[in-house]
Amino acid sequence: MPRRRIYNPLTELLAAVLLVVLVLVVNRWEFSLAVLGLVVLPAVLLSGRPRQIGLAVTLIAGPLLVSSLLLHGLFFPEGTTVLLDLGVARVTAEGLAFAALMGLRMTVFTAALLTVAMTLDLADLLATMTHRGWNRKLVFVVGSAVGLIPHVAERARHITRAQQARGLIVGRGPLSRARALLTVLTPLVIGLLVDASEHTRMLEARGFSSPGPRTSYLPDSDTARQRAARRAMVAVVGMFSAAWLLTAAA
Amino acid sequence: MSSPLILASEPATERPRRLLIALGAALIAATYVFLVVVQPAEIAGGMGSAASLVSLFGFLGGGALLVGGILPMLTTSSLVIMPLGIALNIAIGQIAGSLGMQIYLDAIGTVLVAVLAGPAAGAATGAISNAIWGLFNPFALPFAAGAALIGLLAGLAARYGAFRRVYLAPVAGLVVGAVGGLVAAPVAVFMFGAAGTFGTNAIIAVFRSMGDKLLVAATKQGLLSDSVDKIVVFVIVALIVYALPQRAVRQFPFARTYRVLGSRTGTASGTMSVSGAGVGAGSTGASTTPARGNDTGVP
Repeated sequence: MPRRRIYNPLTELLAAVLLVVLVLVVNRWEFSLAVLGLVVLPAVLLSGRPRQIGLAVTLIAGPLLVSSLLLHGLFFPEGTTVLLDLGVARVTAEGLAFAALMGLRMTVFTAALLTVAMTLDLADLLATMTHRGWNRKLVFVVGSAVGLIPHVAERARHITRAQQARGLIVGRGPLSRARALLTVLTPLVIGLLVDASEHTRMLEARGFSSPGPRTSYLPDSDTARQRAARRAMVAVVGMFSAAWLLTAAA
Repeated sequence: MSSPLILASEPATERPRRLLIALGAALIAATYVFLVVVQPAEIAGGMGSAASLVSLFGFLGGGALLVGGILPMLTTSSLVIMPLGIALNIAIGQIAGSLGMQIYLDAIGTVLVAVLAGPAAGAATGAISNAIWGLFNPFALPFAAGAALIGLLAGLAARYGAFRRVYLAPVAGLVVGAVGGLVAAPVAVFMFGAAGTFGTNAIIAVFRSMGDKLLVAATKQGLLSDSVDKIVVFVIVALIVYALPQRAVRQFPFARTYRVLGSRTGTASGTMSVSGAGVGAGSTGASTTPARGNDTGVP
């Protein structure tokens, strides 16, 4: 159940990106933790689908966190404070601190962007882009790509089942896997390309390549106040980043 | 195609914005040089936040400029397969990543588009696909410039005949993969501390245990994984395009003009769809091939 939308998708995307930029600029694990607890967590809880977002964040960031902890926790030749010597691998304090810094950064990165992406109303975003006069080819490519992803996954599943019914067995070896990939991919790509050539003709018949401005059937959910807010956010984050980096350098 | 309702074809290929393309390429190159030449010493202790900011903005901004310059010059047929390539990249890349494989397989769509529609379309596909993927998997976002480079190089390889023979494809893949790995390594290091899948991290850990610096270890891993990855991807794409019905290939001006698939693109020999059957995929492909021969009128 998607939540009631308060802000324009463009505003939310920008806010998430700026949050990521801030985390990168400040570059301290305390700040990343604070952002995670004070901004991202409430946003996830208020998003109306905290469970799905939490699951997605865990699935994407979890393996990365674990593998980053293993990599830097065990293999950090620059570390001097050795906590545990295991022969080939040594656990160092510096390595663990580095893993924590990177891990928190990655978690903020994932959680902020995923929260926006998973509550994003794509039609609304595309309508806003059209109203704001973005390149219509870009709007088309982005819109149809996002629409196509579930279609591709569904079709790949169908083809896999059909090939399995004809005796496709995926073994453990890389060669067997590559063959299985090809038996699914080839018909998938052929079908998609045939569809694409039909789309080309339909789009041409509807004047896709003709110049001139486009109109959107959806109303513009963007407001002058939000446009001003977006500019202000960029300006504030830009000035803060410049000031922070200059004081850090001095 | 002669209905009066159809607009005159191809007038919309506006002039490419060369300035934007040049700026984007220059920005990406400058970012890479900055990261490699200026920063490596800083990596050991907590790295400077400037490095990750530069890599994010340099590569993302450069990719955006490239896309802005390339999009106006693409024809409708190229534009229509770009979403297809993007969807393939994301769908397959997500599966490969979640299986913890040592290779990524996230460029099959990019290379496919580059082979059929040319280097410009390939570069745009790579950049946009990582930007969109970034919404689902934020770790793909900063690699947009590397993906654009791979699309560009794959298109150039196709133009100069790397896909006319099946044994040339892996050679081109090796070269493209090496370049791609070199470009991707600093991004991985400065943005995420080289975190990747379990498979790629295991390789980095081996180099790290030998005492390499993180950037060096990640670059070696990138060279290794990316080369193998691109060899596999190029061979897969070559086998797929050989199995395509001619009608599907010939709708793309790039593939026609440069005879990307050699004799397979032309009207002459009937050798196609055999290579697909060799790997057990031919039957579905072959069922669509009867189109060959009755559509010689396709421009």
